[in-house]
Amino acid sequence: MRPVSGYNVALLAAVSLALSAGAQTPASGPGIPRGVDGKPDFSGIWQSLSGADYGLEPHLATKDGPPGAGVVEGDVIPYQPAALQQRAKNFAARASADPRTKCFTLGTPRGIYNNEPFQIFQRPRDLTLLYEFGHPVRTIHTNGTEHPDGHIDFWLGDSRGHWEGDTLVVDVTDFNGETWLDRVGNFNSDGLHLVERWSYVDGNTIRYRATFDDPKVYTRPWSIEVLLYRRLEPNVQIIENYCSTLEYDEYYPVPSTK
Amino acid sequence: MRKRLQLVVLSGAFAIATVPASAQNLRGWRESSFVPTAKGEWTGPRLADGQPDVSGHWSNTIGNHNNLTDPQGPLGADDEAPPPNGGQNARRVKPRNERAPSRISDPPDGQIPLQPWARARQQEFLKYLNNPIKPEYVEPFARCAPGGPSKSFMWHGYEIRQYPGYVVFLFDSGTRVIHLDAKPHLPSNLKLWNGDSRGHWEGNTLVVDTTNNNSKARLGRSGEFVSENASIAERFIFDPSGDRFTYDATYTDPTVLTRPFTITIPNRRVTDKTPADDWNNLTFPAKLAGAGNQDKAPLIEAYERVCVEGNGNHGQVVVSSK
Repeated sequence: MRPVSGYNVALLAAVSLALSAGAQTPASGPGIPRGVDGKPDFSGIWQSLSGADYGLEPHLATKDGPPGAGVVEGDVIPYQPAALQQRAKNFAARASADPRTKCFTLGTPRGIYNNEPFQIFQRPRDLTLLYEFGHPVRTIHTNGTEHPDGHIDFWLGDSRGHWEGDTLVVDVTDFNGETWLDRVGNFNSDGLHLVERWSYVDGNTIRYRATFDDPKVYTRPWSIEVLLYRRLEPNVQIIENYCSTLEYDEYYPVPSTK
Repeated sequence: MRKRLQLVVLSGAFAIATVPASAQNLRGWRESSFVPTAKGEWTGPRLADGQPDVSGHWSNTIGNHNNLTDPQGPLGADDEAPPPNGGQNARRVKPRNERAPSRISDPPDGQIPLQPWARARQQEFLKYLNNPIKPEYVEPFARCAPGGPSKSFMWHGYEIRQYPGYVVFLFDSGTRVIHLDAKPHLPSNLKLWNGDSRGHWEGNTLVVDTTNNNSKARLGRSGEFVSENASIAERFIFDPSGDRFTYDATYTDPTVLTRPFTITIPNRRVTDKTPADDWNNLTFPAKLAGAGNQDKAPLIEAYERVCVEGNGNHGQVVVSSK
């Protein structure tokens, strides 16, 4: 796509303002960064303040964490009866069963809204997401490629994106079913089909929306929405957090003369 | 239907010492000698921000992290003993002068100039490598720890991605972000597996200053090490053809060394023409959308890089012990 001309930017800005009463309208004005291909450029360090990792559904304060109004549209995740029982088991065992407590890769989308930042590196062909927690890397391909053949058990899923105007729409499949969605046991299976929509609210805020379709677990598709804020501290950088090394870190002091 | 990735025969770091000879034969373009790339001008393609375009898939060409100073040789007495199971693990080791040289290009003797006490500790680690009677003798890479700045280039193929202000290395065990913006290093008390890297381009060479090293990763399964006080001056010297680069890393560390030393590792680009194997080339063809795309240049992708401890799937960054 051609870079947006000044005229088009002004026009888009006017249209955007006219439509701004609608909360779903992505920002399109001159205030959002764009790449060499004219697409919105999400490069930067981002972090959610939603508290969604403490629980996607509305919840009161507990010893586990602060209260939250929830990020699920309609408030309730539409579990099938057996899945609801599984969630209850997960909740009861959360102190040790939450993959986070074992330093496993948080997966998608939990890596987006957990409490640590992540960095987006963007090229026309793909977006690279480097999560601080565990330090894994997720690639969102935007080069017209499709999901690979077969089911592959990826921790982070296989992500193929395309642009709808200024919204990045990402189709994610090939999950391994071993990740959770938050600290209170919400979960998906390896049959999850996730569709993400990334759009700018303004140059320093991303609206992140994700729709979950998983016939093994839910009775119907459902969605969450969180905002992601750009980290602007002068010294901010993603610092490696290879969480899984902490359990054996003590065994590897640098040898000394002692 | 669930399908586990089975593209690799050997996976995880424990497997290194027991590579079947048949698997070694697959390693298509392993070489025992190389000509280092010279520093100079970059005449190849550039990115929009002016950086030499070196993005893509790469791998070293001589050997893995088993033995730092004799990359194609045996490792310790265990490795030279007759194989206990009748031959499957037998290494066909060529004479020393037909094997790749030491990765230590300076000093000339090819050995790390360790102080005597440090040499003793290195020998101790090597002695117990295959019989780790204490947790500290388990090579941390086998537990999915990052390989550290230099040893990461002695393992599987890896990918370079470039952006304005950054060069990013994606390894099978860990990730490195080289900051090109000259901002200060992290506070010196923050010690990291892969250190904290600041770099800039000089012609065909990416010059990187790496500090904040926790130095826990060792420099090879042979046990050489430096301390938390080490600083590393790295030079990634790219041939303008875009096919090769030489990695040079000079370590300075008065705590452990008697003088600085330099590690040199040859690297080669992995393309869709690279022989498929289980070590250098872990890529697969991307699936292009729609008909009529067959004429496009072949695209290759790598599988997710998330390490699974205990010989799980290849190249993943966080541990599952299941």
